[in-house]
Amino acid sequence: MKNLTVQFEGVSKKYPHFSLDNIDLELPTGSIMGFIGANGAGKSTTIRILMGLVHQDSGTVNVLGHSMPAKQAAAKLEIGFVSEDMRLYAAATVGWHMKFIRSIYPRWDQPYAEKLLQRFDLKAQQKVKGLSHGQRVKAALLLALARRPRLLVLDEPTTGLDPIARHEVLGELMAVLADEDRTILFSSHNTQDVEQMSDVITFIDRGKIINSDDKEIFLDRWRRLRLVLPQDTALPLLPGVIDVGGSNRLPVLTTNRFEPAMVSICQDLGVTVNAVDTMTLEEIFVANVQCRRETQTV
Amino acid sequence: MNYSMIKVLIVKDWYLQRWMVLASLLGGLIALGIVCVGGNAAFMLGLVLLITALIAVGAQLAIATMVNERKEQTLPFVMSLPISYREYTTAKLLGTLLIFMLPWLTLVMGVVALFAVPHGVPHGLLPFTAIMATEILVGTCFIVSIALVTESQGWTVAAIMVGNVGLNVVGYFVAHITGIAKGMNGSTVSWSPAATALLLSEFTAIALLLTLTFFLQSRKRDFL
Repeated sequence: MKNLTVQFEGVSKKYPHFSLDNIDLELPTGSIMGFIGANGAGKSTTIRILMGLVHQDSGTVNVLGHSMPAKQAAAKLEIGFVSEDMRLYAAATVGWHMKFIRSIYPRWDQPYAEKLLQRFDLKAQQKVKGLSHGQRVKAALLLALARRPRLLVLDEPTTGLDPIARHEVLGELMAVLADEDRTILFSSHNTQDVEQMSDVITFIDRGKIINSDDKEIFLDRWRRLRLVLPQDTALPLLPGVIDVGGSNRLPVLTTNRFEPAMVSICQDLGVTVNAVDTMTLEEIFVANVQCRRETQTV
Repeated sequence: MNYSMIKVLIVKDWYLQRWMVLASLLGGLIALGIVCVGGNAAFMLGLVLLITALIAVGAQLAIATMVNERKEQTLPFVMSLPISYREYTTAKLLGTLLIFMLPWLTLVMGVVALFAVPHGVPHGLLPFTAIMATEILVGTCFIVSIALVTESQGWTVAAIMVGNVGLNVVGYFVAHITGIAKGMNGSTVSWSPAATALLLSEFTAIALLLTLTFFLQSRKRDFL
């Protein structure tokens, strides 16, 4: 049986103009899950429900063995949370924030916090209002990491950062996480950020989880096949084809169940396979979303 | 209820608001000094400044510790800490009122001390002063409750205006209640049943406001 850090079962939340619909989500202990969705897809609502900050209308949420939202205080003692819309107190210094968090979390690791302070190029005596956005994100990460959480929840931490700061934050985060064994949920609409860090990927769109699997499985199974069809030859029936683009004679097939044998099947039918293109996570995400939206429309 | 977390949050709010509170306290003490100068003009000026300092510190506390927590997006930071919303509500209500009590109690004690000065305020004014000082506390509780429940600057500003107007209206009516007005200029303290009833109703209003705030907060389902 899988050891789960986060488990959502049939979770729904209704707002006047948006609904989170019957979410089932499992985050195995020790894994890093990339949670990808467009703006307004429901990532932040899902994360807020996970943190107990928004109460679900139905369904159950279990985080680190605690039922949410009822046991949120106990669960949050073991969670490090950084979100794009989280700010620290502008008038206080980074050092004051460190002391403040240290007074709350018994597992606070002061030597590690000081190491992070150095690594993030921050100074304890700096006031938060004097920090750049990138430095503020780093300070928030420091406060989340040094409490040694069992679960780290990062809700779009790189949003709003300029490319340099984003690169720095991600670089530092990856370096910090390289030798760690903790469970992480990382949400973003930027697939590149998620691709670098995650080993499990979950796509969400319009309040529904549309796909969830290991990153390598996504990258291995999704392919674009560029074919050349001889005249009067029908498109071969291949498994997992979710989109057919291109022209009648030069179709481009997107499949989510690619096997190398597909190429020989095509060739046996007299169809030339011009190219088998790998797909980036962004292309896979877009194809997933488009496929689901088209299915919904039909 | 995690009382140690409530304490941590109260200490945090005190740390962040301490200079503003101390500045208001200093302003209030200066106002008391003006009253001590003697004469009607100094008395009125000092009194107005004193009331202004108390209303300002209550309003500023409500805005800084509750409205700005959402506006300046520090609420996600606080709510990510190991607390429930009930504990957050308790910390905010208790913390803001305790912090407010520092200048309020100090200045009210200062005013009461003025009654001891030989050429000071007529002793008959004591019941009226006690009712008005408690009314300032009721007004602050009202502003704090509105700020916490709505987390809206607009509603809080409206509550400040209502509280301010309410103070003046209450002051006018209390000064015209026969049982109180009669002894106001006298040299002895005369606690009429009307004064006692008014004081009790003010403390009841505070209890009702705090209970209603807890009730409304407990019905919230979304905290961010």
